[in-house]
Amino acid sequence: MTSTLTAPTTTATARPHVRTTGVPLTALTALEVRKSLSTRSGKLVAIAATLVAPAAITVVLLAGEEAGRAVEMIAVLGSLGALVLLALGVLSTAGEWTHRTVQTTFLTVPRRGRVVTAKVVAAAGLGAVLTAVGVGVACALLALGGDGVTWDGTARAAAVLVAGGAAFTVVGAGIGAALTNAPAALTGAYLVVLGVFPVLLTARPEIGEKLDPTTSLVLLAAGPATATPVLVLTGWVLLSVVAGTLVTLRRAVA
Amino acid sequence: MIEVHGLTKRYGDRTVVDDVSFVLEPGSVTGFLGPNGAGKSTTMRMMTGLVPATSGTALVDGRPYRELANPGAVVGTLLDASAVHPGRSGRVHLQLLADAVGVPSSRVGEVLDLVGLAGAARRRVGGYSLGMRQRLGIAGALLADPAVLVFDEPANGLDPEGIRWMRDLLRGHAARGGTVLLSSHLLGEVETTVDRLLVIGSGRVVADAPIRELLGGDGAVAEAEDADGLQRALAAAGLDARRDGAVLTVPGATPARVGAVAAGAGIALTGLRPSQQDLEDLFFQLTTA
Repeated sequence: MTSTLTAPTTTATARPHVRTTGVPLTALTALEVRKSLSTRSGKLVAIAATLVAPAAITVVLLAGEEAGRAVEMIAVLGSLGALVLLALGVLSTAGEWTHRTVQTTFLTVPRRGRVVTAKVVAAAGLGAVLTAVGVGVACALLALGGDGVTWDGTARAAAVLVAGGAAFTVVGAGIGAALTNAPAALTGAYLVVLGVFPVLLTARPEIGEKLDPTTSLVLLAAGPATATPVLVLTGWVLLSVVAGTLVTLRRAVA
Repeated sequence: MIEVHGLTKRYGDRTVVDDVSFVLEPGSVTGFLGPNGAGKSTTMRMMTGLVPATSGTALVDGRPYRELANPGAVVGTLLDASAVHPGRSGRVHLQLLADAVGVPSSRVGEVLDLVGLAGAARRRVGGYSLGMRQRLGIAGALLADPAVLVFDEPANGLDPEGIRWMRDLLRGHAARGGTVLLSSHLLGEVETTVDRLLVIGSGRVVADAPIRELLGGDGAVAEAEDADGLQRALAAAGLDARRDGAVLTVPGATPARVGAVAAGAGIALTGLRPSQQDLEDLFFQLTTA
């Protein structure tokens, strides 16, 4: 390295202005959003989550499929974004343990409950905004390229998907915080969501529908609101956040 | 000021840190020494709330670390230089940290200049050498110019220029009234940097005293071209001297006494100093007991 070191005495010249209070929760949440988007993996996942629905719509339109009712297409393709957002959530928490940056995080904010709160709010916000952009672009593409598209129920579906995007990102953050290992959390989460649940839905649909968050999101976005999918999604959010919080509060940073 | 009282960490039956107590005063650099696995890092992690203590307390300015409103403004910590996301640039890492600690963004450029990383600030940390990561860690610890610095093995990976720079930095910090706790395996580095030694072995404090007191032997070392004559003169004065070439070690005698004997015998001394124990010898003596 060819750099030169400045004489250390320069720190003595002027003490920097330092905040004496803890970082406010809003600022901490904004910081968590920036942390998520400041790594290459985070950026890539965020871009993928935003573009997957518009890309899928483009493929469908290019294939010359009948667009028909927009709500059905948006509900299915919009939930693809939620699946990608699961990874964004996992990386925001488990990534910190895997790269050991959790040490710096807890050294600056030792009240871990505040860190968990900021991460959950940041995950929800990121998930909602990225989904809104993705679904918005997907709808615009459909409007431009689809013939004879009917739009009834689409606004409601979009709203459900935005909430679903937030929920999936939070679930990812909860799973990541509970497992504290990014590769394990990612593999585990996708194995269950993309491997176990599809099999369960085929073999025992009555059980699968009561467990699978993706099916719940599609049903909720496409059709009338029913209790089961809302409960399934709420259950996933609560369980993952509680598990993640307990581990975060207790685990030693060795 | 840092006050540690009865700090203990047990994992099942295994006691990693056993009833460790010490006080770090402002204006001093304390060297924290001990073999691998002696409990240095665990002690530092308990002090900063990263590892919960089984019992005992560690207070920074009278409060546990976890209860400090903005701990980054009080304690600058470098525990693990590789605990940085490899996908972020050095500048982005410091910028995020600056916002968490609450210092202006201009401070990021200042600390980058200070540690000599300004030229590499836009590169991803994944491509940094260990020495560069140490410098980045030191930069992060210095962001708020905190009163207390807790550094675990900061000299690892630093080149000789970097080690000297860090020594000046830590000495300068203490001279300004700061408190420094520095763990290191480089005993020579510790010897020239610290005022006080805290030695830990098998989880227990085995020595805690000013370095001069610990290394200062009870005796004098004299050099003379007529070493034979000096040895005879010392013997006549009732002092036993061990001779090694032109160097005589006189246990139990002050340099003044040896000087007076030499003057009385008309022997010219070419060197005279209090005898000093070697830090390495002391380290093994304390930690293998």
